[in-house]
Amino acid sequence: MDSLRLGSYTFTSRLILGTGKFSSTRAMLDAIRASGTQLVTVALRRFNREQAEDDLLGPLREMDGITLMPNTSGAATAREAVRAAHISRELSGSPFVKVEIHPNPHHLMPDPIETWEACRILAGEGFLVMPYIPADPVLARRLEDVGCTSVMPLGSAIGSGQGLSTAEMLKIIIRDSSIPVIVDAGLRSPSEACAAMEMGCHAVLVNSAVAVADDPMSMASAFAEAVQAGRRAWHAGIMPRSGSAVATSPLTSFLGTEP
Amino acid sequence: MTTLPSWLTDRSRSSDIAPLLLQEEAGSLEKLAAEARAVTLRRFGRVVSLYAPLYLSNFCSSGCAYCGFASDRSSPRRRLEPDEIERELIAMKALGIGDVLLLTGERTGSVGYDYLRRAVETAAKWMPRVAVEAFPMSVAEYRGLAECGCTGVTIYQETYDPDTYRSLHRWGPKRDFFERLETPERALEGGIRSVGIGALLGLSEPVGEALALARHARHLCRTWWKAGVSVSFPRIRPQEGGYQPSHPVDDRFLARMIFAFRVAMPDVDLVLSTRESPRFRDGMAGLGITRMSIASRTTVGGYHDPDTAGSSQFEVSDNRSAEAFCRALRSKDLEPVFKNWDPAYSGPVIDEQPICP
Repeated sequence: MDSLRLGSYTFTSRLILGTGKFSSTRAMLDAIRASGTQLVTVALRRFNREQAEDDLLGPLREMDGITLMPNTSGAATAREAVRAAHISRELSGSPFVKVEIHPNPHHLMPDPIETWEACRILAGEGFLVMPYIPADPVLARRLEDVGCTSVMPLGSAIGSGQGLSTAEMLKIIIRDSSIPVIVDAGLRSPSEACAAMEMGCHAVLVNSAVAVADDPMSMASAFAEAVQAGRRAWHAGIMPRSGSAVATSPLTSFLGTEP
Repeated sequence: MTTLPSWLTDRSRSSDIAPLLLQEEAGSLEKLAAEARAVTLRRFGRVVSLYAPLYLSNFCSSGCAYCGFASDRSSPRRRLEPDEIERELIAMKALGIGDVLLLTGERTGSVGYDYLRRAVETAAKWMPRVAVEAFPMSVAEYRGLAECGCTGVTIYQETYDPDTYRSLHRWGPKRDFFERLETPERALEGGIRSVGIGALLGLSEPVGEALALARHARHLCRTWWKAGVSVSFPRIRPQEGGYQPSHPVDDRFLARMIFAFRVAMPDVDLVLSTRESPRFRDGMAGLGITRMSIASRTTVGGYHDPDTAGSSQFEVSDNRSAEAFCRALRSKDLEPVFKNWDPAYSGPVIDEQPICP
């Protein structure tokens, strides 16, 4: 079976959903179900133990077949991300942590230096560490070396819907990585998720594109199908793109057969 | 600083917003609203973060002509004592509030830094996010507040026109235009994570105020790259003292201003308070505004004991309960979010040394 392995966990779905930005908890839960996802990420800052109606953790924990991956969105430094990871693990019981460190709260670009530091510490403590990173092949290898479970390079700026603007860097990361590469952020449409999978990504993470769709459930299931199609295509072997016509008769036959 | 800084006077820094504010052709407002809605959805999704103000005191040493707490108003003065602050926070917590803005007037003998710092400490025990809107402080004082859990500082310039500023701030520490202008940066230097700025609309010519406000926001974002910057759009409300705005701002201009800010600054939080009417607030939700106050009491002690609370800084326009307001948001397919922060991230922003050698 073609499954995604992350640490000791195995997932048949290669679509990971984010849980922010939805119009209601109900809309979020419906989208998760429609997507068939088995792994969702949720921000510690949206855990609300004191007010059930405002809490995202409680309803997600009650869903069957869903593994939680708390994220550290809001952290500006490694120290804050490590603290958030510890609290999240206590509250959620999940060994996963999606390390998100964005010191600039406006564009939310990940800080490679603080991210590396936090990942090194958390991987050493036994977390299954999934860092959200710029599409930087060197950083991706550095993070693999410190024991990350996967790397999650951005397709484009978070919430921008600009798709795979980092495609060429992603290809290098995929080529050079021995751990799963999961495209996170920037995907606008199912065709872009499909393209990421065709490229050889192991999974994609989507949030805004589903949460702000007019019909989040339909969009979630469309993404699920696109991810499956992309993965199947990658397995099937995609015909190489060629810049010129390929001659059907050999051009060098007049030279005789090769010795 | 005694002359206006170039970041404030350089019009090229707001040249993209000016045409949006000055458009007059039919249908331009609707078009701008659609663009603002699309940008908001893309960046912030379908959520609106909520906060509530907590008035700690109405003592004030300044003479702002437009304010119900100015030191020449006859209304009785009081400050909340520590046990009362706790009671207010408990009452707010019962409403679901997880993000509080602590307010005072200008610094006085009985309501100074030590009092405010203790209030922040108390609030941080009850609320995931604590911000203050109080008197200007020193860098060291802001650092002290950040260390005890203050995440944000709101400080409005009120007006960016120095002459108008001088005429309206009749006496007191707030009379110094430049000292006030530099305050958000002192807060950021002290490690406060986010600053909220605004112009009190109605005091001066609104297009000029909007453009100066935009330049201020951009200056802060560029100078302090880790800073969160939010922009508020307070309009003069009726208040004790009876000040009448010389440049009243109508709903259509205010809406245009908010849309223009959203389009030109796609990732900055834009804030709308209960100064505005339910009709306007409901209409603007999702069209650029990403943070809104709820269930506001602008009296000292107004949450746990509304009957004996003092006079208000200004009259609230949207008096709906938290529940009623959330219902209105949900009917627009927007999710009200009470907790959108975690104390794990509180504390001063500093350039940390690596944790491990």
